[in-house]
Amino acid sequence: MVMTPPAEDSNFDLNVLHNDLDQIQISSANQHRKPIVDPSLSRIYRYTPIPTIILDASWCIVEVSDSHLAFSGRSRDSLLSTCICDVAPGAIPAPDIATLYGALRAALTTKETQVIENIHGTDTHHQLRVLPIFEGSELIYVILEAQNISKGIPLRATENQHAYINEIYKILVDTVKDYAIFMLDTSGNILTWNSGAAILKGYTAAEIIGRHFSIFYSQEDRRCSKPDRGLMVCLRDGKMEDEGWRYRQDGSRFWANVMITPVFEFGRHVGFVKVTRDLTERKAAEARMIAAFEESSKMKTDFLANMSHEIRTPMNGMLLALTMLAGTELNEEQHEYAAIMQDSSSILLQVINDVLDYSKLSSGSFSINADILDVASVVDAVARNCRSGLSPSVALSSSVSPGFPILQGDPLRFRQVLQNLVGNSVKFTEKGYIKISATFTVDEEDPRVYNLVTEVTDSGIGVPDSAINTLFTPFMRFADSKNRRYQGTGLGLSICKSLAELMNGSVGFRSNAEGHGSTFWFTTKMKSIDMTAPGKMSSLSSSPKAEDISDALRKIAPRKHILLVEDNLVNHMVMLKLLKSMGFERIDAAWNGAEAVRLINQTPLSFDAVLMDISMPVMDGLEATCQIREFNTDVPIIALTGNALKGDAETYLAKGMNDFIGKPVHRNDLVRILLKWVGT
Amino acid sequence: MAPTTPKKTKEEPASKGSLNFSLISDVIDQTTFEQILEMDDEDDRDFSHGIVFGFFDQAETTFENMETALESKNLGELSSLGHFLKGSSATLGLSKVKDACEKIQHYGAGKDESGTSDEPDEEVSLKNIKTTLEDVKRDYKEVEGYLRKFFGDSPAPSE
Repeated sequence: MVMTPPAEDSNFDLNVLHNDLDQIQISSANQHRKPIVDPSLSRIYRYTPIPTIILDASWCIVEVSDSHLAFSGRSRDSLLSTCICDVAPGAIPAPDIATLYGALRAALTTKETQVIENIHGTDTHHQLRVLPIFEGSELIYVILEAQNISKGIPLRATENQHAYINEIYKILVDTVKDYAIFMLDTSGNILTWNSGAAILKGYTAAEIIGRHFSIFYSQEDRRCSKPDRGLMVCLRDGKMEDEGWRYRQDGSRFWANVMITPVFEFGRHVGFVKVTRDLTERKAAEARMIAAFEESSKMKTDFLANMSHEIRTPMNGMLLALTMLAGTELNEEQHEYAAIMQDSSSILLQVINDVLDYSKLSSGSFSINADILDVASVVDAVARNCRSGLSPSVALSSSVSPGFPILQGDPLRFRQVLQNLVGNSVKFTEKGYIKISATFTVDEEDPRVYNLVTEVTDSGIGVPDSAINTLFTPFMRFADSKNRRYQGTGLGLSICKSLAELMNGSVGFRSNAEGHGSTFWFTTKMKSIDMTAPGKMSSLSSSPKAEDISDALRKIAPRKHILLVEDNLVNHMVMLKLLKSMGFERIDAAWNGAEAVRLINQTPLSFDAVLMDISMPVMDGLEATCQIREFNTDVPIIALTGNALKGDAETYLAKGMNDFIGKPVHRNDLVRILLKWVGT
Repeated sequence: MAPTTPKKTKEEPASKGSLNFSLISDVIDQTTFEQILEMDDEDDRDFSHGIVFGFFDQAETTFENMETALESKNLGELSSLGHFLKGSSATLGLSKVKDACEKIQHYGAGKDESGTSDEPDEEVSLKNIKTTLEDVKRDYKEVEGYLRKFFGDSPAPSE
């Protein structure tokens, strides 16, 4: 096939347009024009998928590929034998004729391929490759190939954008001086270093890049390979945050908050970004705040405790004087005033006692004694005690599950909680009923442990919904404090809560299921005692197990400190001998109540039990007990009494004694009672 | 020394004497008294002896005090003295003395002998105490005799 028809030659007019074209080349091209030897090879350019135009040495079009026709929308006939300079630039494609000629000239001069970049069509981008074909030094053809690069252009733009943003981030990161921000490679070696890192850690970029980041950790951390574990956690969880001591180049340490985030590129893990903050100051500030808080809390508690104690002492004097005053001949008006003073001062005393308990509880200095707890007798005692304040139209009843075990617990604390709950019910119930119920279940995990539930249900005023959440919060009171009937500190229930928690239990409230009133419950967890302990406080008689009990007491007796208060020489001697024969080695003696008060006041925590005669000169046992209870609520006081009359027991218990034993004291009774109160 | 003492009902180690509690059960409570004896060391009766003779001193002093209080009609003091001696006599198990002392305690407190109802008339109370005091002195002499014999001591010197 003839590529360049001879007829075309007359159209060649290149010299007219471009005088700088090499005439020799043109003429020689014309001279050496020959037919294509292998026609099959010409098909290459006919059918190449790249839009292609072939020019001869005179720049006339000698071939056009089908793909170019498709691209340009022209016919082959309209293009063949046409000088390239007569073809519209858009159809070549070229930005303009001048650029095309520039490229052609460069190609001919350099004999190398020239590329015209960024040829913008309506919606396409092309580049034009200009390939000069020389045979020796003779130009024979020029091939123009149009490469569609439309798909590549947006990509390139994104890359540019990326580069731009990267640059911004680099500047940002470098500008941050308070945070160390740097990158690690996949194995933890440092790749980048910002100025914050340099300031914080003391290394320059040159010193640190390429080192492993574990250099910032303590030896201990490195030994347990904390740095590598951190990276593993980070890869697993997608990020890792940690706080701890890190070390600077100069060896000083700082408290760091560290965030490590893995970095992925095309789904491949390429490294980590690590951000480190210096929290040393903040941590120190926090520590200072905590210390300050603890200090102030302790001061508050100490202050409360001291004040309560200081206030209580004169209060007792006032109460005593008031009682005596009320006993003198007063007219009706004076009587009334005295009664008001007595009322107010006893409320005040209660308030002070509450505050003292509360401050002890909140300072953690409150302890629970492991003692023998007979729930039935405590419930009885509380019910008896509360009956006096009861409105006449309120029925107070109590029920204790049959077969209640004798437990190891603190009877005083248990009683305090119950007394408080029942006392509240008494205060807030004008008519109807108050019921105390105590039930128990065996613990599922340990058959020796019992779960006790004690409930106090009343038909009183109940608790408004708005107050339920703050019932057990200290100093929160929902009742109208202007009403004299409802006076108090608002500490009672919070004391109950703390006490119950000390006894491994809790307290709670629910509305009375029968509609009107409240149910307060408290739970405790206690071990049972493997002993046929007395169920009643009085009338103890000898039992077959007397020997065992005696042995049990003998084991603990040498460690226990007993105070004997007895004025009668004979009785005193006998009791001393009796106690010694039971194994007690530390027995202090007082000959009247005042001496006993002084001894206990001197060493309040020393005595494990007090055996107290009732009738004594100077100060009797009841008054002594009252005074002892003002500063020591814990020590068990056991009355030694010849007046084994009914009703006396109640009086003794009401005055703060824990138990009593009738005279003459029988050895087995004394052993039982002492074991009950000092046996742990 | 004790030619009429019958056979002991209970074995008392190293006793110098013995007591037939079944014959004097209204005078001395066996259990209580034996408890005192049990406090003795094995080979002597030093402790119980000391206690019992201490009681003798105490009782005689108390009776004197009671006489004085009776003369001055001090019922409160009488009640208190009654209570005092009641305590120690109870401790030793001297039932008769203890009961009488309790009566004096009640009379002194303006009550009847059992302490259940009031006796408003002080003169009646004083008269009752006077009678009871004579009784209790006699009861005391009786038990003192037993005890002195038991401890192998000579009878109390007559006053």
